[in-house]
Amino acid sequence: MHMNFMRHAFVLAVTAVSLNAQQATPAAQASGALDPLALPAPAAGSLVAITNANIMTASHGNIMSGTILIRNGKIAEIGTNVTVPAGAQVIDGRGKWVTPGIIDAHSHSANEGINEGSQSVTAEVRMEDVLRQDGISLYRQLAGGTTTVNILHGSANTIGGQNAIIKLRFGLPADSIKFAGAPPGIKFALGENVRRTSNAQSTRYPRSRQGVEDLLRESFIGAQEYQREWDAFNTARAAWDKAPARSRGAAPIPPRKDLEKDALVEIMQGKRLVYWHSYRADEILMALRVSKEFGFKPNFTHILEGYKLADELAAAGATASTFADMWGYKLEAWDAIPHNAALMAERGVNVTINSDSDERARRLYQEAAKAMRFGGASEETALRMITLNAAIQMGIDKMTGSIDVGKDADIAIFSGHPFAPASRVDLTLIDGRVFFDRNTAPTLEWLMQLMRNRPRITSEDGGAR
Amino acid sequence: MRRTPLHRLVLPVAALALTQTAVGAQSNSRDNLTGVWALTNARIETVTKGTIERGTVVIRDGVIEAVGASVTPPADARVVDLSGKTLVPAFIDLTSSLGLPQPTAGRGGGGRGGVPAVPAVFGQPPETTTEERIVGLEPDRVIAEELNLSATDARTSRDQGIGAVLVAPARGLFRGLSALVPMRDDTASRWIVKTPVALHVGYQTVPGQYPGNLLGVIAYQRQAFYDAQRHAMVMDRYKANPRGVPRTAHNAELEALVPVVKGEMPAFIAANAENEILRALALAKEFNIKVTVVGAVEGFRAINALKSARPPVVTVDFPTPAQTTGWQYQFATRRDPADSAARTAAATRTIEGNAAALNNAGIKFALASGGLAAGTFMENVRKAIAAGLPRQVALEALTIRAAEAAGVDAQLGSIEAGKIANLLVVLGEPLAATARLESVYVDGLQYDVVPPAAGRGRGGRANNPPQMREE
Repeated sequence: MHMNFMRHAFVLAVTAVSLNAQQATPAAQASGALDPLALPAPAAGSLVAITNANIMTASHGNIMSGTILIRNGKIAEIGTNVTVPAGAQVIDGRGKWVTPGIIDAHSHSANEGINEGSQSVTAEVRMEDVLRQDGISLYRQLAGGTTTVNILHGSANTIGGQNAIIKLRFGLPADSIKFAGAPPGIKFALGENVRRTSNAQSTRYPRSRQGVEDLLRESFIGAQEYQREWDAFNTARAAWDKAPARSRGAAPIPPRKDLEKDALVEIMQGKRLVYWHSYRADEILMALRVSKEFGFKPNFTHILEGYKLADELAAAGATASTFADMWGYKLEAWDAIPHNAALMAERGVNVTINSDSDERARRLYQEAAKAMRFGGASEETALRMITLNAAIQMGIDKMTGSIDVGKDADIAIFSGHPFAPASRVDLTLIDGRVFFDRNTAPTLEWLMQLMRNRPRITSEDGGAR
Repeated sequence: MRRTPLHRLVLPVAALALTQTAVGAQSNSRDNLTGVWALTNARIETVTKGTIERGTVVIRDGVIEAVGASVTPPADARVVDLSGKTLVPAFIDLTSSLGLPQPTAGRGGGGRGGVPAVPAVFGQPPETTTEERIVGLEPDRVIAEELNLSATDARTSRDQGIGAVLVAPARGLFRGLSALVPMRDDTASRWIVKTPVALHVGYQTVPGQYPGNLLGVIAYQRQAFYDAQRHAMVMDRYKANPRGVPRTAHNAELEALVPVVKGEMPAFIAANAENEILRALALAKEFNIKVTVVGAVEGFRAINALKSARPPVVTVDFPTPAQTTGWQYQFATRRDPADSAARTAAATRTIEGNAAALNNAGIKFALASGGLAAGTFMENVRKAIAAGLPRQVALEALTIRAAEAAGVDAQLGSIEAGKIANLLVVLGEPLAATARLESVYVDGLQYDVVPPAAGRGRGGRANNPPQMREE
């Protein structure tokens, strides 16, 4: 397998580095030959430099005509006075605009199952169990500068399943796309979907918004009882461990491990983030009350009426991930306005704009620009809505989300200003490795051949990191 | 024969019969009075101990008594001159549903499942009674207790060289406990070679209830294995010292999982796609259990994972390119048709070359049908050989590797003294399309093989019918 990566390195050297290369298609494609070893994503060199580019850091303003030095997949230096060491692979960024890799806070693009809709509480199910890596939409999203994606459970259940945060390492197996170190989360949902408005035959509880609140409280109270059982056991076990072997009886028997309740306990312990599918202001207020009662900070997704309660959200430390301009597609989406994102941001809420769609995920930068167009958000605020704010919301801002020294080199390089209508992504890097290059991008047809015929490479080969 | 499934009520009787069989078949050779055979002058491919160009196999009461170039036929043997013919071990297919009720879609199918009652009260979960069984979600389903295999079923397999099959339901997430069945006409549970062989597991949902999605299936399995671990611990402690300990309720489903979590019995997980294979092996790691991947038709995409796993059971029910990971997407419409045909051919080579790719990677495996009809099974084995699988490896995969995977390699899978006499008499190369299978020995019973064209009226009957002793 090492030979593969030798080949990748070679491909990188000849094709991937220069943005000005006139080569429209890779050699293998032109000849029609299938080269199963020529993955579209060459291995990262240990030193990569993006030079003379306009850098939008998302955290500390823009640096015009600056250089980013990437060492072993991490951002090592940024500025206008960076010396490029000999041997570095140089990406000429002249005339280009560089942003952090875009983060989609709400996606269902890389999974074989979306809803375990047979029950109202399915905290035990995990998106990471059903990840799939071969969807062509993932590559299209890379071509839109997207690097990190929050794969969420669907919204069929009051308490849905556990999320999976992935990086779009397209071409690698499912077990190498997970975002190592991302905090676990879970999807909750409110409103029409969970009360089965569209299914008159449904016999599932709850059928009303009051029922949703009741089910939430009942579930958390059940989890608290479960936790008390375990606490009692742990105390008894510790005492038993200390007791002299002769006088102590049999060891206490642990309670049943309940994966559903484990996840709910983790939420109350602050170890698992809640992503709450929400529309109406009244039920968002309910969710804020429930969150407070059980001691966790909620993140809301959709939250189309967030502008009505921006102050309450900010006071609760809740984050909000919304659509740029989607409304009216169901009754509870009736009061949505395209100013929502900017208005919430203005009142101090951490706001992101997500896709919830394979299509919009290819052009989140245009969605962010709408926050400027409609709500008057600043350029940096709009950019943060698809980068740093999403990283903060998902608890991965120490690792990605902005162009800062020490962070993963997840970077999108645009042909022009990212919010200009004609700009396109030229290069997308994840961990310093080029996963998309418009100059050498295979046609879809050729790419799919590679997907089909190349041998499998697993994470042990080191390709992913 | 598939219309009257066994009901739970009759199971204790069947279980009793089974217990007697398991003891009887092993220790009392007088149970299987199939006479004595000396098969002489045959080319003998023992599979495990090389090939004897001209030798003799002696069979006594269903067991191989002697194998060798200079074995003298015993005085009481019927001598068969096999000059010009080859003896190989009969094949073993580890992916069969012979003798089971036909699977039906939805709940309550197959005559075993219970249909959850329509809830009487709005908002209440459906009530189920203890009698009701949910198809595909019954780890404690003992296949040996409900086998209903006809002589036609047995002959159809046998006529393609299959001497034994492992029977388990083909769908569901916890399918039951399989039985390895010899392909003799009078196969009843009393002749089962081994039961239970494995707990059979898959990724199909249970329609209309939890788990209704792949997400729930995997979560359900994970929870079940945690529960089984705890159940095993609690029950063991109770057995060790019951005094003063509150009892735990009997739970047949968890009892069925206990040997698996203790590492005493493998779980056969039906996993074909790349990601299914990885999920199955992740479960093995998570619970430190023995997992045999069954299917692995995309094994060529999961070589590294399979290298460190137990030898898989690789099936030859080849998927179409459109069913294969990385190929599903609907781009064919944009291709020019000639190009598309060339690519389909390339895909087919890859798919049929699965076993060859695994072999090249040094992975040992059994070959199995994946539920294909017996004739198609052998046809596809030949395709796998044509795609680069060495013929010798294919023969091993159909015999000794399959026996190993089922844990019966002491009894089956090669021509060795002491093993069960499951043999094929073949004219020509045994795995070639031109081979003529003339005769099959199952448990030492000799069956003629009837060519399909002349198949009416005769054949399929043992020429040395066993002297059954009905108790």
